[in-house]
Amino acid sequence: MAALAAPTRAEALSLFRSLLRTAKQFSDYNIREYTRRRAADAFRENRALPDAPAAAAAFAEGKKQLEVAKRQAVVYSLYAPKSKSVMELKVQ
Amino acid sequence: MAMAAARRALLTHLRVPVARPAAAAAAGTVPVAARRLLSSTTEETKGSFLDKGEVADRVVSVVKNFQKVEPAKVTPTAHFQKDLGLDSLDTVEVVMAFEEEFGFEIPDNEAEKIDSIKSAVDFIASHPQAK
Repeated sequence: MAALAAPTRAEALSLFRSLLRTAKQFSDYNIREYTRRRAADAFRENRALPDAPAAAAAFAEGKKQLEVAKRQAVVYSLYAPKSKSVMELKVQ
Repeated sequence: MAMAAARRALLTHLRVPVARPAAAAAAGTVPVAARRLLSSTTEETKGSFLDKGEVADRVVSVVKNFQKVEPAKVTPTAHFQKDLGLDSLDTVEVVMAFEEEFGFEIPDNEAEKIDSIKSAVDFIASHPQAK
């Protein structure tokens, strides 16, 4: 199984960046922020995995979640909220 | 027949003076809008670079607003990891915040090189799509 090799640092950061980019596409503030926070939390939690198989498994899971996020961003865009969240309003 | 022709001639003649003041009134605004349109398209095709001082100010304020950073520590020469105590994941988040602020996408290989306020300012100021 080729999946057992640990991802490089650049690959991991690139996956993180892709997740954050996908998170931004959600039209709903709450889901957008949750996805961003969830990605950041998961990467922090897994920052010091003991061995290569564990890192590879976490990386594979992250990639799977990226696909889920991409798909859901499309689905949610069909049901975009009609009004903005109060959190998005700029104080004037 | 002749009446109809005369009437049509009269109507077309009458329409002209009515249309003229409207065109004259619009003339004051149209060229401005057209000029703005033209300048924005030429800016996009030629690429306009932002002023370095302005970029530096905006970069500093983005970093100051990042929740893990102590605003007092942010200086134009600060290094993300050495001076501000950010890790590589934080750096990715900061670079994403720059993308949002300046409205363009920073590719992975460029984003990796941004590790301090100075390198961010240099990159953004040399990027034609930054706005």
